[in-house]
Amino acid sequence: MLTLILRRLMAGVVMILFVLSFNFFLFRVVESDPVGSLYRGRNISAEQRERIQERYGLNGSKPEQFVKYVREMARGNFGYSYANNRPVSTLIREKLWPTLWLVGISTLLSTLLGTIIGIWSAWHRGSWRDYLGTGTTMLLYAMPDFWLAMIVLVWFGREMGWFPLGGLEDPSSDAVGLTKLLENIHHLVLPGLVLTLSYLGEYALVMRSSLIEVMGEDYLTVARAKGLRDKFVRSRHAVRNAMLPVITLITLNFGFVLGGAIAVESIFSIPGLGNATLAASKGPDLPMLQALFLLFSVSVIVMNIVAEILYMYFDPRVRTR
Amino acid sequence: MAHTTATDRPIRAARRASALIAAAAVLTLSTTLLAGNARAQSDEKIVFTVGVTTDIDSFNLNVGYTVEAYEAWNLHYPTLTDFTDEDFAPQGALAESWEGAGQEYTYTIRDGLVWSDGEPLTAEDIAYTINRSRDEEWINHSSITANLTAEALDPTTLRVTSSVKDPRLPAIPMYVVPKHVYETVSADDMASHDATKDPGAGPFILTEWKTEQFWRMEANDNYFRGRPAVDEVVFKYYSDQDALVAALQAGEVDASANIDADNISEFDGDDTFTVIYGNQGTFSELSVNPGDNSQGGHNPVLEDLQVRIAIAHSIDRELLIDRVLDGHGQPAATMTPGASPSWDLDIPEDEQYLYDLDRANQILDDAGYVDSDGNGIREDTAGNDIDLRLFILDDATNGEFVEGMVEELGFDVTVRVFDSGQLGTKIAEGDYDMFLWGWTPFVDPDPMLSYFTCDQISGPEEVESGSYGYNDASWCNEEYDELYKRQNQELDPDVRRDLVQQMLKLFHDDAAYVALYKAEDINVFNNTRFGGFNCQPTDTGPMLFTNSSSSYANLVRVESGVGAANCGDRDPNATPVDEPGEGSTPATDGGAEVEIEDSSDNNTGLIVGGVAIGLALIAGVGFAVRRKGSADDRD
Repeated sequence: MLTLILRRLMAGVVMILFVLSFNFFLFRVVESDPVGSLYRGRNISAEQRERIQERYGLNGSKPEQFVKYVREMARGNFGYSYANNRPVSTLIREKLWPTLWLVGISTLLSTLLGTIIGIWSAWHRGSWRDYLGTGTTMLLYAMPDFWLAMIVLVWFGREMGWFPLGGLEDPSSDAVGLTKLLENIHHLVLPGLVLTLSYLGEYALVMRSSLIEVMGEDYLTVARAKGLRDKFVRSRHAVRNAMLPVITLITLNFGFVLGGAIAVESIFSIPGLGNATLAASKGPDLPMLQALFLLFSVSVIVMNIVAEILYMYFDPRVRTR
Repeated sequence: MAHTTATDRPIRAARRASALIAAAAVLTLSTTLLAGNARAQSDEKIVFTVGVTTDIDSFNLNVGYTVEAYEAWNLHYPTLTDFTDEDFAPQGALAESWEGAGQEYTYTIRDGLVWSDGEPLTAEDIAYTINRSRDEEWINHSSITANLTAEALDPTTLRVTSSVKDPRLPAIPMYVVPKHVYETVSADDMASHDATKDPGAGPFILTEWKTEQFWRMEANDNYFRGRPAVDEVVFKYYSDQDALVAALQAGEVDASANIDADNISEFDGDDTFTVIYGNQGTFSELSVNPGDNSQGGHNPVLEDLQVRIAIAHSIDRELLIDRVLDGHGQPAATMTPGASPSWDLDIPEDEQYLYDLDRANQILDDAGYVDSDGNGIREDTAGNDIDLRLFILDDATNGEFVEGMVEELGFDVTVRVFDSGQLGTKIAEGDYDMFLWGWTPFVDPDPMLSYFTCDQISGPEEVESGSYGYNDASWCNEEYDELYKRQNQELDPDVRRDLVQQMLKLFHDDAAYVALYKAEDINVFNNTRFGGFNCQPTDTGPMLFTNSSSSYANLVRVESGVGAANCGDRDPNATPVDEPGEGSTPATDGGAEVEIEDSSDNNTGLIVGGVAIGLALIAGVGFAVRRKGSADDRD
């Protein structure tokens, strides 16, 4: 098993190296003039231009730039944002937390709720409960998140006035400590609700179909024949085996947490990584885009490895293969 | 027993979920109540909140370029002189008065000025800013200070000498920086200087900036025109315009200048809001390459003035304004050289290239460009179909309309889309037939007029170095250049205006730049909360994001009635605008007198609280039932 894990880790490292170099060329396929974009409409002297090119690593030939890029990336220096001249690493650090909070908690809540609904629907297959559960989750799954976000924002934010319409905090409040934290949570309720609702359908549907498959197995009949209570059979025998695909799905989806939720972050003005990606693509702010893509790729690759390891743990068949 | 624990997992997960829901509900409850409290407390301050959809890019005067950055600088940094709202006439700011003429002026600086960090602000700071920004070519200063030399004769006397005759003097509308801070910043470190900590001396001082969230500016107690009545101005960032509209309607934001024409109808018939349409010289143009860039790359047929005139006649400006701007713009005859409409070209309609398709086609027929093979495309003198490339920016909304209009003439038009950097390069290389872009001029017409002199056309060297000239018309006219030099040194305003008019006429007649329209900036404010806005220029300009940003320092909290905007006699479709003073009460004592209705917030707390308690109860019951169930199973 250790060899297997090591092999997976090696593959991950190779993949990350590939992404690192692919990123450089991906964002340079389109010819652009970053310094021109940076100082649009304004004349700058040749010296000023040279200074800016030096600062942003734009001087020298493409291969020279590439070597410099790899060297700086390895040192953890992601360069300076074209959009506001600040270090990309600082910007990403600032934007990481809102996304981790919002998307992380929403993913957690939606996996829990989705799994429960899935189990409930499957166990009561064919009954009104199944129709209710499946119908609701299908509806939520089919609903575009930006649309749901707009409805929720207009209704709970504008019409009812229960929640703020964007951002993470009230700029004019003097709150500190716990009160500040509560203020942040108050701002995150609506986007969190939207994300939880739009994510949970997927988990519910996968859980339901997986459990229904397991429910036909002989060992469940045996369990019932032993006289175990229905609820007991469900939790200890059926759900446990049906969880495998859901665990994979959950782990993989956690890899996408850092990618943020572009539409929802944008509508609720959450200063997270999703919104940063959107803003950076408009410039285009190449250093920021490069760093964001690298971060997203690494997180997806890492969670893939975690998913495989978890699978090995939960399903002994994988280990022996 | 270990077996039981392991199989217990799903039940425990469910139980944990219930516990989480309960915790979330309780948190929501307390959050709402506390947040409501926090808001009620902060309402004791008078806070004016502006909703924006673009953040400041950088607060550093040598890096930033967004209009949001300029708005923040206008409030934070003082200037030696600024402009009246009425008509952009220069008026004293840090300078109390001045005397002199021609190339030398002596300014009397106000006494007792201080920076927000308590250090005295004297003529030394101003002289330092002028001299250093000239030597180091500071990007936001050098167009003003390039030819100036300043000397502080004593703390309240400043002598400024210009090496050339400069009709802009005595106006020096340049941001003054604190010498005691900038002395410690070397030229090499200037681009990375953290200016957010700079002390200021304008009406509001930047106190907090959270990128892509908000920036907050506090009233300056020592502002030389008197402390503003508003305690704080907050610019709150919304990444989605629909959310910003909702925030205005919900009262989370008091005003905005970032609502597009197609969204502004949301405020139609809503008495709570006043909408102001104004222009500060911004215009859009269709540039048609006459081929004066020696590097070539254009379709030679455009060198024929008659072809360019025909293209100018094919543009239906009314249609563009109607479709692209939802009616919120004015047709333009040629470039707008300055922020005030008083500089605009003033010529009779029959001398303008107005929309007239028949005339346009006649001009082309007469010039010999006919469609002889009957394929619907006119041919040039060599018998080739005339194919014109139209370059547009990635966010252009007028491209398809203009494409269709020019195609009406019997030309084959191919549209290509670029970002601003790429299009800038294409223009510098002279490698285009037509493009769509726009400008916003400065207050004085000189910079805008200078852009179309022959020496501003980029040559191969400029393209190589990337330091492009400004002339994006690829148009060169010796007579224009001669007039430019004269107006640049002409100190008599009437003579200068006449010279500028002659230049604009030349520029218009050669039809290298087909001006389309002057789009209006759309400003909206909640008139039940604030009044006292100033438009600049009063009769035609916007009230936010103006050249001098004077609205903020004059705002008053409205106690009853309708908050006013001093914007002349404006758009009859907008909500009627009252005279200032009526229904608005200046609150200069920090707002103790101002009564604030906040009952909705208390209700909010109660309602959300109720829902949260309900959720908590359900989750609690669920939790208890599960506990019981699993306990039974264990038995």
